[in-house]
Amino acid sequence: MTIRTARPNRGQAFRSRMHCLRKLEAIVVEMHDPKNGVKGSVQKLNVTTIPHAVAGSDIIAWIRNKMQSTPEDAQVFGTMLVAYGFIYPLQNHRKLVMCNDSSLYRFQTPYFWPVQKWVPEDSDYAIYLAKRNIRKKGILEPYEQAHYSHLHDWLNHKWDFIVMQATEQYKASRDRNKSDRVVLDCQERAYWIVNRPPRYTQSALDCGPDRLVDPNVEEKITFDQYRRVNVFYQQAIMRPRVKSSVSLGALVKYITTYKNHDPFLASCQPSNPWQTDHDAYWTLNVRRVEVPTKMRVERWSFSLFELLTDLRGRDDFKIFLKKEFSGENLAFWEAAEELKWGTASSMSAKAETIFKTFLAPGAPRWINIDGRTMGLTVKGLDHPHRYVLEAAQTHVFMLMKKDTFFRYLKSPTYKDIQKKALNPEPHNFSPAQLEQNARNRSPGIHPIILWQQEEEEKTKAAAAAVPVDVKAVMSKIDRKK
Amino acid sequence: MNRWRRSVDELAAGRRQLVECERAQDALSRVTSCFQQLVASLGSSADGSFLREEMDETRALAHRICAGMSSRLLSLLSDSNTTHSGVEGRQVSERLWVFFLSALENFLSDLRKAKDLIGQFPLTQRSNRRSLVNTGCTDGLVGVAARVALVQVPWLILEAVPSPDLTNHIAGLEEMLHEMQLKVPVAFWSVEATQPAWPEAHSELHDPDDSLEDLMAVEVISNNMSACCGLSCVG
Repeated sequence: MTIRTARPNRGQAFRSRMHCLRKLEAIVVEMHDPKNGVKGSVQKLNVTTIPHAVAGSDIIAWIRNKMQSTPEDAQVFGTMLVAYGFIYPLQNHRKLVMCNDSSLYRFQTPYFWPVQKWVPEDSDYAIYLAKRNIRKKGILEPYEQAHYSHLHDWLNHKWDFIVMQATEQYKASRDRNKSDRVVLDCQERAYWIVNRPPRYTQSALDCGPDRLVDPNVEEKITFDQYRRVNVFYQQAIMRPRVKSSVSLGALVKYITTYKNHDPFLASCQPSNPWQTDHDAYWTLNVRRVEVPTKMRVERWSFSLFELLTDLRGRDDFKIFLKKEFSGENLAFWEAAEELKWGTASSMSAKAETIFKTFLAPGAPRWINIDGRTMGLTVKGLDHPHRYVLEAAQTHVFMLMKKDTFFRYLKSPTYKDIQKKALNPEPHNFSPAQLEQNARNRSPGIHPIILWQQEEEEKTKAAAAAVPVDVKAVMSKIDRKK
Repeated sequence: MNRWRRSVDELAAGRRQLVECERAQDALSRVTSCFQQLVASLGSSADGSFLREEMDETRALAHRICAGMSSRLLSLLSDSNTTHSGVEGRQVSERLWVFFLSALENFLSDLRKAKDLIGQFPLTQRSNRRSLVNTGCTDGLVGVAARVALVQVPWLILEAVPSPDLTNHIAGLEEMLHEMQLKVPVAFWSVEATQPAWPEAHSELHDPDDSLEDLMAVEVISNNMSACCGLSCVG
């Protein structure tokens, strides 16, 4: 039972991409034209003969003639008619294809045709399954049994209605003659195979998420919409443009650098976990792994942005900078990132600490930015907001990129890690091993554990980054004396 | 003394209404299942004016049952009646309520489909007969018509309600559904099913019915084209 409220209905209720159904209906009706339609034959069974069966080759020949297409196209079109449920096969009822031979098909009654606005209801499916079970116990297939138990749990309040309706429909169908009963059962079975397909089969009625607007309704474009479209295009013409040779050159350069790292163009080493269920790729590329993979290390050399966004790369860069005693640029950049992405309540406190640590004259980790930027930033820190350090951060980023980054790439730190990096062998699983992998899937690291590790690292880093107070060191030395 | 007699009368009236509603429940299932059979033949080779008339009669019968049942259920479950019926009586009426609303929704969806199909396959002219789909069904609908005719409306007092045409019927039922849901707050998820999870055919239906697979069996021909629909067929 549905609950209806008085609010305006903003639900997305229109199934999209199915307006071909009207056209298919017209074609199916045309197939019945006594003069030019498809010629029929009879289906012979043990108990009776049923008229109006059609051979697949006849249908395909008719489609070829009508649409003037090649036999392959006609066969595909015929398969589409079967997959949507307008025609159903009599012999292999589970396989919804149109075969170009003498296998028999029959037309589905219009009650069971697929319609764009109606979805086949679960309660109808429950009635159908109950009816089949009443007729002969134990005839439901495993996937149908699974559906049935699920529906019994979920539609339990309607269950009396479902069972009574199933019994009544069963009794009503027994009043028809034998051949009609066979036809009705075939029709219903074909309908539910199309609309509740068994596991691991494609369904032609997959139409994606529902839409808010009815795709069949022709929209009248108003004068105001035309006016706005014109304004938009006029503004687009007046914008400055980049020459296509330049932009294409940039695109080509990007492609050549990233070609081997693209997940679609190059295969994933050692193996794609989604395909083979083996998570070596993920464990090898964890954020805090000791030894990264060669692909990862190669990626760091593409640009400073790649190096900094990969947190393992950032750690490596930090180690290099500590050796060079010039870690304040990276520390400032990280602090500015934290300000940008942090909570609103902590912003003023963070701004204060950043000012005291990096920007104040005589600060322990003073960064070397030009006077104009420094002046702007300090003035902005009176009223701190999220992006107050943006100019300084960009300046520092440019400094690192133009100078420190290239020194890093030539440094022994980077060369060392390049040598140490792992290059895993690609897996080659047999189907039996794939089954095994699928069975032994582990749930992976719990996110709480990962979060705890990160918190530990942060406290350690904070303790290590406390600026050395010269006076305290001196007093300790004094006390030793 | 008078108050006692009045409450006994009310109890008896309530129980009589419950019994009537239960009989109406059976009748409604029968009528809606026959209606579904008729609608399933719309637009097919078994379609014709006989089918359309049968549909109208079935629809009128369903309309009478629905109208009577809705008024009785509303009176049973309205607030003034709660003290009289007791807990089990209340549970039974709630079960009937949920049954009636589900049956009404099911019937409504069949009616809407019927309206669409009648619009798509009008039988007003002779040429329209050509557009009917050859589904293999011949005119076997006499049995269904006989079944519908056997259904009796279980109201002792037959209210003379004029049977509406299809569009008005749909609109009327939608309104009835809306009203009923607004007037009585019944928590439909608290209703428990009384029927078994895996129902079997009762013993009265004697001859063991063949399954579809048996009916579709053909003498096995030597080549692979045999129409075997056994469960070993892999799709």
